[in-house]
Amino acid sequence: MKFKLTAIATAVGILTMGSALAAEVDLEKLQADVDKLNAKAVEWEEWKAPKTLVHLAGYADVGYTDKQGEPGSFKVGTFSPIFHYQFSDIVMMEAELEFTIDETGKSEAGIDYFTVDYFISDYVALIGGKFLSPIGQFRQNLHPSWINRMASAPVGFGHDQAAPNAEIGLMFRGGFPVGGRNTMSYAAYIGNGPTFEADGGEIEGIETPGLNRDGDGGKVGGGRLGFYIPGIKLDLGASYATGKASVRTIDNTGAISYDKGRDYTVYGADLTWRISTFRLLGEYVSQEYGAQASSAAPDSGKWTAWYAQASYQFAPSKWEAVLRYGEYDTPHDGQDRNQSAVGVNYLFASNVVAKLDYEFNENPNPGFDAENRVLVQFAYGF
Amino acid sequence: MNTQWLKISGSVLSALLITAGLLATGTGVAAEADSKKGDFTRGVQAWADNCTRCHDVRDPKELRDDQWITTVYHMRIRAGLTGQQTRDIITFMQGSN
Ligand code: HEC
Repeated sequence: MKFKLTAIATAVGILTMGSALAAEVDLEKLQADVDKLNAKAVEWEEWKAPKTLVHLAGYADVGYTDKQGEPGSFKVGTFSPIFHYQFSDIVMMEAELEFTIDETGKSEAGIDYFTVDYFISDYVALIGGKFLSPIGQFRQNLHPSWINRMASAPVGFGHDQAAPNAEIGLMFRGGFPVGGRNTMSYAAYIGNGPTFEADGGEIEGIETPGLNRDGDGGKVGGGRLGFYIPGIKLDLGASYATGKASVRTIDNTGAISYDKGRDYTVYGADLTWRISTFRLLGEYVSQEYGAQASSAAPDSGKWTAWYAQASYQFAPSKWEAVLRYGEYDTPHDGQDRNQSAVGVNYLFASNVVAKLDYEFNENPNPGFDAENRVLVQFAYGF
Repeated sequence: MNTQWLKISGSVLSALLITAGLLATGTGVAAEADSKKGDFTRGVQAWADNCTRCHDVRDPKELRDDQWITTVYHMRIRAGLTGQQTRDIITFMQGSN
């Protein structure tokens, strides 16, 4: 009996000692593991909030275009990567490149915009570089293919048409509350301005790619004021800019010259309105230049365009229907266009969309024609 | 150099600079460090108000915390958001991804 008791006591003793030892060992291991994890967590947090942030965004589209009287063709639209570098909440660099392929298969690269933005206060940022023209709404905010509800730009809102595209200069931009949740946004800029392309004594077009040299020395300044009522998702904008611009001539040796600066003015108004999945867009823009007797192309001219677009997504389905009407009027009868367009979209996600559009194009001037087009596009914003 | 543009753009620019200066000092006085911090609840409202204006709403889960900072600052410039709206929306995005 005595022996039995002693044996049991010893066995229990050994067992408890063993488990105490085991517990001690486990605790040590646990502590080491926790320390390791802590160190990892610190490392993990480090890259999440460094002072300099780097981010790559952008968009791309591919498609198919069939124009009356021409063979239908598969198309690569644009591949446009956007680079963001941000230092704390002080400075941001934004740059969008644009890679395209022309008819002959040659690739081209361009800089859509490239700016350094300095956040002066909660209400003002100073922007320097090449920026999308702040005149109106389509060119600066609605043209990326995953945002645009149609596969093409409205007539007059394409490259070097009635709506200015880009500018190189300085811009103040920001917004402030104006009662309740309503806000006013503003953009005020000064830049090199556009140049005019002349052919046979006439100005063929107003070029606004963002010129890296001011040929005539006369700057162009202005901007846009927007009023936004979030309660009804309505934004109204008015834009105006004025200054001097001139005709550029390239002679057969390739030497570039500019004639004397002439008056240049652009103005416009725009509207965006949204109720649930219904969206209404509208914009008017006019660019004009004065006469200049000594110029290679002396006459004054005016380029205007407007469009209205309605789209509706049949939620919860992913199908969307779009209607657009637009007019483009230039000093050259051959370039004028009236366009009605209808389209259906399939919205895979808010940044991935497939589009099928039909454009009814006509030239309102007697003796001129314009071709209708079918466009298919797949766009992805990343 | 053309003196006419200098006159016009000079006055436009000085008006802008004065406005910018006034706005900048205004915020300096009004803003205390704490109230300037991003706020989740205000962020929900600012996000619902502003982020479907130009394009369909982007899912907060699309991006990481650090990517939302650069993205919302990018949108601040585009949309004319205030600095406070920007910080509030970032806080909301980072809390919802
Ligand atoms: C004023 C119009 C406008 C408003 C308002 C707006 N966006 Fe955008 N957003 C754009 C445009 C334009 C782009 C495409 C950028 C480009 O191509 O340069 C874009 C791009 C994006 C992208 C893609 C990544 C990038 O940086 O290009 C995300 C994500 C995004 N927006 C989120 C938001 C959020 C969140 C809000 C609300 C704070 C918002 N947007 C409000 C116009 C707007």
